[in-house]
Amino acid sequence: MIEMEGVVRRGEITEIVGPLSSGRTSLFVSCLREVTAGGGMAALVDADGAFDPSSAARAGVALARVLWVRGDGRRDAGLRATDVLVRCPGFTLVAFDFGELPPRLSLTAAFRLKLAVRRSDVALVLIGSRRIAGAGASLALATERDGVEWGGPTTRPTRLARLHTRLSVVRGRGAPVAPEQRSWCA
Amino acid sequence: MPYACARVPFFAAAAAERAEPTLREHAVAIVVGAPPATRVVEANAVAREQGVMPAMTETEARARWSRLVTRPASVDLVEAAHAALLEAALGVSPRIEDGGAGIVYSDIRGLERLFGDHAHIAARLARAAHAVGLPARVAVATTCTVARMATWRRSARVTIVSPAEQAAWLAEMPLDALELEPELAATFRTWGVRTVGEVAALPRPGLAERLGEGGVRAHDLAHGRDREPFRAYTPPPFWMEALGLDWELESLESLARVLAVVLERLCVRLRTAAVTADALSLDLTLASGRHDERTIQLAYPLHDPAPLLTLITLDLEAHPPGAAVTRVAVSAHTVTARASQANLWQPPTPALRDLAGAVARLARLVGPENVGSPILIDSHRPDAFTLRPFHPSDGDGVGEGRGAVEADVPARAQLVMRRLRPPRAVAVQTVDERPVRMEWGGWHRIVQCAGPWRVSGQWWEQPWARDEWDVACGDGTLCRLARDHVTGAWLLDAVYD
Repeated sequence: MIEMEGVVRRGEITEIVGPLSSGRTSLFVSCLREVTAGGGMAALVDADGAFDPSSAARAGVALARVLWVRGDGRRDAGLRATDVLVRCPGFTLVAFDFGELPPRLSLTAAFRLKLAVRRSDVALVLIGSRRIAGAGASLALATERDGVEWGGPTTRPTRLARLHTRLSVVRGRGAPVAPEQRSWCA
Repeated sequence: MPYACARVPFFAAAAAERAEPTLREHAVAIVVGAPPATRVVEANAVAREQGVMPAMTETEARARWSRLVTRPASVDLVEAAHAALLEAALGVSPRIEDGGAGIVYSDIRGLERLFGDHAHIAARLARAAHAVGLPARVAVATTCTVARMATWRRSARVTIVSPAEQAAWLAEMPLDALELEPELAATFRTWGVRTVGEVAALPRPGLAERLGEGGVRAHDLAHGRDREPFRAYTPPPFWMEALGLDWELESLESLARVLAVVLERLCVRLRTAAVTADALSLDLTLASGRHDERTIQLAYPLHDPAPLLTLITLDLEAHPPGAAVTRVAVSAHTVTARASQANLWQPPTPALRDLAGAVARLARLVGPENVGSPILIDSHRPDAFTLRPFHPSDGDGVGEGRGAVEADVPARAQLVMRRLRPPRAVAVQTVDERPVRMEWGGWHRIVQCAGPWRVSGQWWEQPWARDEWDVACGDGTLCRLARDHVTGAWLLDAVYD
């Protein structure tokens, strides 16, 4: 089933949804790391311009292989930019991070996007607070915060140590998959 | 030492036919002057068959052939066609000489091993000229002069003059083949001289005495001697193609259609000479008399008209010209096309041509300053990065194999942040100097906080210092708070996600 981080597959649309601080961006960045480490090119359409290159670099992302398109908050422009990128063959991964304000995506547009993704053989990842692609997405994953670990030499914590995420399949490719837990080091 | 000469007959008419290929089937005359004093300066072969000749008035020419098509003389078209002819010749031989309007000489020494005998080389040169829309006659001889005279013959497309038969061949050529000044040619005719051979037979001292330098020159030409050494042509860095219009282009759609024609001609020239353009200069002459000049740097050298037209159109849509357009000139800065080979161990990357078009579209959507590849700046200042143009081949480790890439990047499940740019000023309540409540779309209770981590830098230039806190709000959101020591403000820097 699995291609990138056990989540993303080329030629398909994958949605990663969840509230803030649930680990959805960390999950996406781990996919980004795998793509760029393997020599592939990735593109990120960032509707709010929230991507943090320094923490992505710490995660192991080769930033030189990432085309970062910063939006000014306009979701429609972000969708159009995503459409341009998925029609440019050669990218391994194209992502659209729309943050907390999901754009309106009609089912027709979602299926058109799905067709373009299949033709270009690119993995399209949609990241946000809720799903927008409907049946156009082959896989939808929900992230949920499962715990936070704090660290420090004394009882009073001095640093955020780890975030635990529960990963569940909302819309799957086949048989239901049991929830999985992941941990992210701060 | 063999030379080839390519000549495009009736060059001004051929240049017009190159711009409008449908004219080739018609009798075409190039005219100058305003009616009723319009005069024919050039006519194509079809028009000449109908009796239309240069120096006629347009009225007289139309009396000879009522279906005559006339076009105004255009310096732009002639210059572009001549440049195209030179570039076509460069595609066959690296040493060429500009022989004037519609004529080019090629040094074909050593090309036999590449292309075959002289007939094959001449045919290749003719095909190259034809590819750029110019029907050329080509001749090969031992000197440029003889080759040039051989192209004067109207019947043959390719003529080979061997050294053995050169003298006999020259002797039969009519006097007009020497292309002398009209006064000099008239003098020879009054002497009863009708062929090149008869000029060659005249005594050289006598010619010099009676006709001066012109007579000596005619004698040298009649013997097939080159009077000047071969001057190799160096192509200019910019190749220009232009089109002047009799009407005004007011909409971008109509301008795009004209640009498509101009770019098609330009790209044929680039392809013929096996070069690509890495920058385009667009010069639009406006109806107001002003010029709209712009330069478009290409992310990847191209010689395909479709993506070039897309890039120019996108630029024109972003910055439309200030008035209607009456003339279009496109110049391409040329570079040698180089093929690149993909890496066997890496996934395919976007074709640079496709990528250039996609990046241009993205730049139009969100602005060019928002498209690129992030680079971290060597600084302790938070969120220190810059964007550079995205170019896959410049990626660190790209093309060095999968192993080399993976060695550079640690495998780690890293918790990443979502930055707020610029950091949002928030109100924070503290107890014992530790944040306990934060105002961010309503007051949030801070249930856990870790810190502070003091960071500072650039005391010598723009000093900054701040205390950073990782906090967990009551709704579970994990944030990075910072207290700026310079301003004393609390900033919401990022959200962990």
